[in-house]
Amino acid sequence: MALIKVEDLFFRYPQAKAPVLDGLSVAFEQGERVAILAPNAAGKTTLARWLAGLYPDGGLVAERGHVSMDGKPWPQWSAAERAAAVQFVGQVPSQQLTGCAFTVYEEIAFGPCNLALPEGEVRARVEQALAVCNLKHLAKRDPFTLSGGEQQRLSIAAALAMQPRVLILDEPTSNLDPESRDDFIAQLDALPAGLTVIVFEVALRPSLGLARRFMLLDEGRIVVDGTPETVLAHPRCIETLGMTAVARAAFEIREAGRWPEGLALPLTLAVAEQSFREAARA
Amino acid sequence: MLDVASVDFAYPGGNPVLSDIAFSVRRGEVLAIVGRNGAGKSTLLRLLNGLRQPASGTVTVDGLNTADTPVHVLAHHIGTVFQAPEQQIFNAKVHDEIAFGPRQQGLTGAALEARIAEVLGRIGLADAAQLHPLDLDAAARRLVALGSVLAMKPPVLLLDEPQRGLDANAMARLEAIVAEEAEAGTCVILVCHDMDFVARRASRVLALAQGRIAADLPTLDFFTSDELTRKAGVEVPDPVELARFLGLPPVLTPSALAAKWLADHRSA
Repeated sequence: MALIKVEDLFFRYPQAKAPVLDGLSVAFEQGERVAILAPNAAGKTTLARWLAGLYPDGGLVAERGHVSMDGKPWPQWSAAERAAAVQFVGQVPSQQLTGCAFTVYEEIAFGPCNLALPEGEVRARVEQALAVCNLKHLAKRDPFTLSGGEQQRLSIAAALAMQPRVLILDEPTSNLDPESRDDFIAQLDALPAGLTVIVFEVALRPSLGLARRFMLLDEGRIVVDGTPETVLAHPRCIETLGMTAVARAAFEIREAGRWPEGLALPLTLAVAEQSFREAARA
Repeated sequence: MLDVASVDFAYPGGNPVLSDIAFSVRRGEVLAIVGRNGAGKSTLLRLLNGLRQPASGTVTVDGLNTADTPVHVLAHHIGTVFQAPEQQIFNAKVHDEIAFGPRQQGLTGAALEARIAEVLGRIGLADAAQLHPLDLDAAARRLVALGSVLAMKPPVLLLDEPQRGLDANAMARLEAIVAEEAEAGTCVILVCHDMDFVARRASRVLALAQGRIAADLPTLDFFTSDELTRKAGVEVPDPVELARFLGLPPVLTPSALAAKWLADHRSA
């Protein structure tokens, strides 16, 4: 059974004419690392909220279809069960802070404390989250005095401390410096296998190191679902999100008629050198 | 246009955030401020726009010392788009949000409407004028915040992570606006983590490391120095690296890389 399953989800905000999600179906397995790329206004944050179980909420309900985890639709989950199963980190980290913690340490402890875990367990979880998100040196700081990137790391740490089975991140690395981002990815790799990570991104490059399965969300539907190479080479992806820098350079050489036919455009620096050398030999 | 002279700063009760900061920015320059999380980038922006005052040293914007100038006066000389645009938007319609600044400058009637129409065109939101800004997607909200600042035509623009969350279309708009502003003599200052964007659009890079200036160089000179990019903790853009691997002359952008490669392999 799929871990999270979206079935024919059709959703519009009250009073909106057009649906945001237009009969969307997709499934995620346990332990997958997925990047969902999406142009602006494609339904990115809305889908993220559905996957995280934050919708349905009050009047915000689907006209058709539903999202389930472990085969059980979201309305059948209690808030506490859901919070321990799936965590969502939004785009604006400062809006995610509880506001009732005086230190970074307490902010991370807030969630596990609310699960009524024993103190030793809470402390162990906080220590682990501090390490994963490169926050140990900031543990005693007031969350509201952190920089934007540090707050982003803090909201991810607070989510990880819940030890969810699914972590959903809306543009997780956009505000991180490269060292923090690489640390974060390396630390995610070091976590027990089985954590499902779904990231939503507008930028192409950050997800390449993080996810193995890519999708393009466009106009409320998943239009392509596959390897990074397939998705980044999809015409609609290029049209709405552009190309990576090395792919763009190779593309311009191809436009000039000098890129060998049948040689794929490289996506990353790691493969680009060889492709360019091959093109030079041709 | 903008002058920072031996500035030090610490938040109350805290360690020094910025030490011995000195630089000036001329009209038409696009300066990118880069560095690790917590290096002091956003704090420096708050010193430039007068939201914070230096502990020592002076900041002069358009001839005004920020220490003697109220923030609401300074705002006509230096416009800021903050990291989280939803925190600076406060009108119920995109039109009114754009109108707010120029109205404070005394613009009214047809002149005001013309200014609003011009800005809406530049940010590509003419059709959204009557919508609530917070009903728009994140990128459009960022463009509204940018538009509300552009509408005041300040001689200095401060943009904190303006490229964040923009797709290809919105990014093209932002880049066109940055280029037009620089062309028109505006001094544009960006805080930015996206080094591809910096490589494409900035003429000069100011790198902060632990609250001090680690580098202040033309963009190409900065990115081709391993020592300085490492010190600042920033990523070297792929075209710069690839040109080096391939033994091509230094470049910043994909287009420049393609051009150098084609020049180098003219006769196959």
